[in-house]
Amino acid sequence: MPVLLCVGLSHKQVPIAVREQLAVSAEDLPGRLARLRGLAGVREAMLLSTCNRLEVFAVADARTCADDLLRDLGPLAAEHALTRYEDEALLHLFRVTASLDSMVVGEAQIQGQVKEAHARALAAGACGAALSRALAAALSAAKRVRTETGIARGAVSISSVAVQMAHKVLGDLSGRAVLLIGAGEMAQLAARELHAGGASELLVANRSAAVAEALAQEVGGIAVGIAELPALLERADVVLCSTAAHQPIVTRELVGRAIKARRYRALFLIDLALPRNVEPAANQLENVYVYDLDDLEGVAAQNRELRQQEVQRAEAIVLEEITAYARAKQERAAVRVLAHLRAQAQALADAEVERTLSLLGPLSERQQNSVRSMATAIVNKLLHGPTARLRGEQGGPLSDAAAELFGLQDAPDVSGDDAERRSSPEEQPQDASRKPQADVLSLTGRK
Amino acid sequence: MATLLVHIALLAYAAAAAAYLVWLVRPRQALVSAGRTLLFAGLLLHLGSFAAAVSLSQGEGLARAGFGSDAWRGGQLFSLLAAATVAGYLALDLRYRLPVAGAFVAPVTVAVMVPAHLVHGGTRPIAPELTHSLALAVHVFSAAAGTAALALAFALSLLYLVSERQLKSKQPGRLFARLPSLELIERVGWHLSVWGFVFLSVAIATGSLVSHESSGSAFPIAPKQGFAVLAWALLAGLIQARLVAGWRGRRVALLVVAGFLLLVGTYAGLLAAPQHVSAAAAALIAPGRG
Repeated sequence: MPVLLCVGLSHKQVPIAVREQLAVSAEDLPGRLARLRGLAGVREAMLLSTCNRLEVFAVADARTCADDLLRDLGPLAAEHALTRYEDEALLHLFRVTASLDSMVVGEAQIQGQVKEAHARALAAGACGAALSRALAAALSAAKRVRTETGIARGAVSISSVAVQMAHKVLGDLSGRAVLLIGAGEMAQLAARELHAGGASELLVANRSAAVAEALAQEVGGIAVGIAELPALLERADVVLCSTAAHQPIVTRELVGRAIKARRYRALFLIDLALPRNVEPAANQLENVYVYDLDDLEGVAAQNRELRQQEVQRAEAIVLEEITAYARAKQERAAVRVLAHLRAQAQALADAEVERTLSLLGPLSERQQNSVRSMATAIVNKLLHGPTARLRGEQGGPLSDAAAELFGLQDAPDVSGDDAERRSSPEEQPQDASRKPQADVLSLTGRK
Repeated sequence: MATLLVHIALLAYAAAAAAYLVWLVRPRQALVSAGRTLLFAGLLLHLGSFAAAVSLSQGEGLARAGFGSDAWRGGQLFSLLAAATVAGYLALDLRYRLPVAGAFVAPVTVAVMVPAHLVHGGTRPIAPELTHSLALAVHVFSAAAGTAALALAFALSLLYLVSERQLKSKQPGRLFARLPSLELIERVGWHLSVWGFVFLSVAIATGSLVSHESSGSAFPIAPKQGFAVLAWALLAGLIQARLVAGWRGRRVALLVVAGFLLLVGTYAGLLAAPQHVSAAAAALIAPGRG
């Protein structure tokens, strides 16, 4: 019986210094996948390489194939890697996809990365129906987790919290102007995010005109002089400050004058500098919102805590989806056993009918049809009880018992799994030499 | 028939309120969809109850439209206000998607409807001189529309104040993620306030005409009229301040809240002192001879 394996490591086992040595580039991926697929006993494989993890998910003939997968990752990875089998591997796949195993729980990128890894594995002919089905179920669980829990809600990095808060104050940023004062990296990052989020104008101010010009070119903005600050505060809706000034350059008085001139249109000031560039008292002004580093970190921490509170519910959804996946697998197995059983019985009956007809001598067409109908009726009546029970059970011990009792293990696979896998041109010769087997992974409880 | 329909509508509103309130705790999109659908179904039933009341009425002119009739056994005015508010909310939601406002509107609708339909006071027939008064019809329609617009503006102003407080304090609470942006709340609230002011102006003007038709006095001195004029003056000042001085944000939200509370005072005045109320208003709600 094929088993699901997971071999690899993540941010939980090794630091970034090790992970960066192991990362698999997009160019190397097809070659690595081909190598994995070429390992003896490995039917399907997918390699997930992100900045936080390097993991291989594979469907193999036996648990021992994990050793080969581990060796393939190389000695450095093998030293730290974890191997997960069957149920544990499936649970890990679901948890990784639902972003429950991520460094920042609830981050959205992992689902795209899993889809990308799957697409590349399919393109390389390394992934078949069994792994694809498990991945589809994992992605569906991840979608439920994202929509039904608050696990992905709220930004958790300083720059994304700044952008989130800007949206909360100003709504749609299209038509808004962003003023970037100073050249701090975090402010640049936030400015870029705001610009990408729809802000139509990005103004870059600096003490040095040359620095302002260079920075404006880098972030796709317009260089302006810092001397124009009072007028700029009237024009901009979001102000990002990150200068090295030792005194606040955006004072309460300056903002007070600007907000009146703006006719009280909201102004969002993000102070990412230390010492602070914006006088904290400016936050007391009506329609003025000042967020410094501590404020942003406070919101990020609160969001992280809220996400953490949702983890339990997310885990429950993952378990529900795994159970549903396992049930669907059992149902497919039961249908396959039933189809084999009926096909085998009908073939036997047909053979016996033909033998009997040849012994009876010449019979009319009507008489021949009567004999054939009788044989089919006997098959139907004999199989009615077992069929009803197998359908009722929808997989499980009876399916196994029937397969064993009637010798159905060697019957051709009609589930479609192998057919799907064979549809890949690279698969055809290899699969043709293989003994077709059920794809049911061990989670069905029938290992 | 009308009573049955309005009771079923009330059940739909209650279910919608439950869906929206659960959504505040468990933010599932299905709950918002359910709440929206239930509110819409409730509104259709509610409007159906009005139609049934009209078709069953034996009166003439405005009385035929249910004014002063005994069909609903009291509470027509609140019923009308609730329907107008729900209709206004659904129109807003269609344009701006504001489920968090639904979590306010739906329970308030239920809170307004339940006492209105539990009170089984009789109603006084419409004054004969107002049976065919166009001014009364316009007065009631514009008062209902204005009250609904200001009720929604009030709800959004409260949302604004909560949201603004959270942003200023830098401590967003659990519901923060469900709140729309300050800019959206402010903009929609402003539009509603302007519409509320326009309808209120029409209601006051036509109200004085109705009062003149029924009692001979265009501006009788009574709490209802006093509160209505105060609310109107406050809203006029608010609009002036916004247009001239650019006021917006917290102070505008506070003024809208105050304006709506004055309007509530108008209705309280109407209920508490029916003897001072014009014949038209009394015909609408006052438990007269039954």
